[in-house]
Amino acid sequence: MEMFSYLLATGISTGALYALVALGIVVIYKATEVVNFAHGEMFMLGGFLAYTFHVMLGWPYVLSLILAVLAAFGLGILVDRIAFRPLMQRQSLVSVLLAMVGLSFVLKGVARHLWGGKGDYIPFPPLVSPEPIMFGGIMVMSQQLVVLGAAAVVMIVFALFFKLTRAGRFMQATADNPKAAKLVGLRIDRVYMYTFGVGSAVAAAAAVLMAPLTLLYPDIGFMLFIKGFAAAVLGGLTSIVGAVVGGFLIGIIEQLSAGYIHTSMQEVAAFIVIMVVMVLIPTGLFGRRGMRRV
Amino acid sequence: MLEVNGLNVWYGVTEVLRDVSFRVPENKIVALLGGNGSGKTTILNSLSGMVAPRAGTIMFDGTDVAGWAPDRMVKRGIVQVPQGREVFAAMTVRENLELGAATRRDMAAIRTDIEELYELFPRLRERRGQRAGALSGGEQQQVAIGRALMARPKLLLMDEPSVGLAPLVVDMVIDTIKTLHARGLTILIVEQNVGVAAAVAEDAYVLKDGEIAYSGAAPALINDPEVLSSYLGR
Ligand SMILES: Nc1ncnc2c1ncn2[C@@H]1O[C@H](COP(=O)(O)OP(=O)(O)O)[C@@H](O)[C@H]1O
Ligand SMILES: [Mg+2]
Repeated sequence: MEMFSYLLATGISTGALYALVALGIVVIYKATEVVNFAHGEMFMLGGFLAYTFHVMLGWPYVLSLILAVLAAFGLGILVDRIAFRPLMQRQSLVSVLLAMVGLSFVLKGVARHLWGGKGDYIPFPPLVSPEPIMFGGIMVMSQQLVVLGAAAVVMIVFALFFKLTRAGRFMQATADNPKAAKLVGLRIDRVYMYTFGVGSAVAAAAAVLMAPLTLLYPDIGFMLFIKGFAAAVLGGLTSIVGAVVGGFLIGIIEQLSAGYIHTSMQEVAAFIVIMVVMVLIPTGLFGRRGMRRV
Repeated sequence: MLEVNGLNVWYGVTEVLRDVSFRVPENKIVALLGGNGSGKTTILNSLSGMVAPRAGTIMFDGTDVAGWAPDRMVKRGIVQVPQGREVFAAMTVRENLELGAATRRDMAAIRTDIEELYELFPRLRERRGQRAGALSGGEQQQVAIGRALMARPKLLLMDEPSVGLAPLVVDMVIDTIKTLHARGLTILIVEQNVGVAAAVAEDAYVLKDGEIAYSGAAPALINDPEVLSSYLGR
């Protein structure tokens, strides 16, 4: 029981971060019908930038978080301008995906060069006391609570952005009906660009929250991408709610399977979920249109 | 107000519009008739900036707007109610109307314009919180027209607004067009339904295989058996 509750608490707090990564994948997919294969690198670079600001330069954590998120917004725009806009105009999905994969390798290479080669793990200092807290018999790390709370705040800000701001509405409209969006006078190229920016910013927020819990390394982006992607697929790939639910489920599934089956399950659980969902419920839990193109 | 001259549009290697010329005078309703695939939608899309013409001029209020991007056309006052309505299906009726004003920044005026639209389309007020995709065809047509009006157009382009609607609902669309015309709006309407065109239009053009085949006063044109057979016979 104690082990179960510990695994559950860990699963929920990491799941919240997977949910954030999945949110970005889903928002970009909904708008552009393209899965951003460089999304994991947005996470990784967000984490390393925060590391640079917070650990190397000694700036406050919250400031570092904000700066990393802003920088990732810019990086998302870069992905759009390099890999999406110029290639999508020629209507070729395969070249877009290849460009994104290529870009992800370039970004990984840049990160290795700047922050250390493969195998170098960079520690990020804990934010709060590493002492665990007892919650009615359940032991949780206070850091996990902070992560959960902060992730919830990011999700709420994200939801409010789409509900309340004009820019958020424009993104929704463009995802809903791009032709109509053009007809009402939206410049959908720009909307796509900002969508990439927003999606990447959320991934960076997840990375900065996760950094104190884990170790940063240049290849972390791929792991997180797979987990976020599994969460997004589980949630139906087009559903914001699905991405959040999927994120928590993936976090919990991988913890429980690692705890009760074998520790190696933590690495492969996400892959297994992707495969099972694609075979058994191709539209995911909340999917409307299902997956048309990946 | 609008004068199109020598419009030429290609999709890849096929020429879809050849040397198309027509005029839409201010405060008039002009109908564009023609069989399926004759190029009617392509004309409207050229006027909306959705397709770029290869040659020709589109003079609108004294400026050649040919080849302009859609957002500039909307800001200039040319706004389209597209074929098939194309509402934002997952968004509410009110959000659809607000999006019609995407190029505007006068938020207070946008809100009063929405209230005015609810006077014109009381049904939309009742349905304002519902997803546009869940509405009936006639209601969706009101959303599409209302959304276009939110941009405060000078020239309204309507692409087959009556298609797929029950006869009673078609009458309602006709009434709406007449009301808008009475308020001073200039309208270019594309129709397959000759009855609708006859009910509202003053001038008419008939398009055949991408070329203007006939033009004249709408009632005369529509009562001309030769035109009708050519038009209805596809
Ligand atoms: N995007 C497109 N690409 C290639 N051909 C098109 C495209 N859109 C329309 N066409 C062709 O152009 C012609 C005119 O189409 P359209 O303007 O939609 O006609 P209408 O509205 O009169 O039915 C048709 O032959 C149609 O097949
Ligand atoms: Mg048409």
